[in-house]
Amino acid sequence: MTVAAGRARLAEALRSLSGTVERLSALSQRDYQNPYRTLEWPDSVDPDSGWFTSPELISLYGTDFYGQLGESSRRRLSFYEAANFYSLNIHGEKTLMQGLASRLYRRDLIDVAPYLHHFLDEENKHSVYFGGFCTRYAHVYRSRQVALAEEPRRDVADFLFFGKVMIFEEIADHFNRLQARDERLHPVARFINHNHHVEESRHLAFGRRLVQALWQACAPDWDGETRARIRDQLASFFTMSWREYYNPDVYADAGLPGAPDPWELSETAWSSQPQRSNRSTASRKCLRFLTSIDVLDREPPDVF
Amino acid sequence: MSSEPRADDHGQHGPGSGDARAMLRAWILAKNDDLDAGALSDQTPLLTTRYLRSVHLPELILLLERVRGTPIDVEYLGAGDFRDIDTIVTGFITPAQNTEPAS
Repeated sequence: MTVAAGRARLAEALRSLSGTVERLSALSQRDYQNPYRTLEWPDSVDPDSGWFTSPELISLYGTDFYGQLGESSRRRLSFYEAANFYSLNIHGEKTLMQGLASRLYRRDLIDVAPYLHHFLDEENKHSVYFGGFCTRYAHVYRSRQVALAEEPRRDVADFLFFGKVMIFEEIADHFNRLQARDERLHPVARFINHNHHVEESRHLAFGRRLVQALWQACAPDWDGETRARIRDQLASFFTMSWREYYNPDVYADAGLPGAPDPWELSETAWSSQPQRSNRSTASRKCLRFLTSIDVLDREPPDVF
Repeated sequence: MSSEPRADDHGQHGPGSGDARAMLRAWILAKNDDLDAGALSDQTPLLTTRYLRSVHLPELILLLERVRGTPIDVEYLGAGDFRDIDTIVTGFITPAQNTEPAS
């Protein structure tokens, strides 16, 4: 297969997305929003008196330690868990925006440029909401991700970028979707989750089409070793993404009575069967899709 | 509202550097099914061989924080901080253990 033939196949695959790009762009224009006017922020919130994360989605849920916590401790933990969830989204969206901006109007991706504009715009607005909550009421939790330049081939780097975006967004959307309809949640938390879910549903639709198109166009040119490396990278990214939901900094901030070492608590929760089951449920749709188009051929290591 | 975890809040941490090396070796071997234990020394390059990749780092940093009992500021970390087991132990474990309170 020549380079020219590979490029032609990629161009054809991206042109096949034109209907999706037009439809999603029209929806984004229709629902265009001003994040500084859409939500009335209360001056303060009380971490002990409301639910900010659905209890069943808390990272300690189902552990023996969680079972021993009183109601106000659980609610306080749900507040810091929400701040961590929003922080993970901020860090993920920063990486996403960098990647989208660097690909905007690149000649071989010109057909999807109109939607990349919306994608970039909407991700920035999401971070305004996430950052708005964290900086008003808590703080932005650090990420433990360290970016290392690892992939010199552009087509592989493109595929890995959009593949990782899809995994990150699919996991987050599981939380958004469930919490958007959870009436126990504080109205601000519920709004942030609902708004993100509505906008992400467009990004997810675009991401699935693009990941499939890129794989079908590029994978035939990749040798077995390259495909294995991509699979390993994406499977490991799954594990890495989930690992950051179990943040010792959150457990320390929540000041939980009788809590063990926060790193120990993180490890115990990560390994617990209820949490493995939760991760499996939350990942199912994304894994099924990636397996169905032959991108993944095994489960991510140590997640379920 | 931030109170990052501290070792002195949660008891004594930190094995000796020999234990830390053994723990790191076991962790790296667990991440690489095809890596023979005999081929992994404390000076084996970890990044150029891809035994360690960026997707592994959050989990590794959690492990290192747990061993030393204090958070690690990741903002300024780069590839050079994870070159081999020697570099990791010297950079993340030994300094934390050698830290003396200011008098």
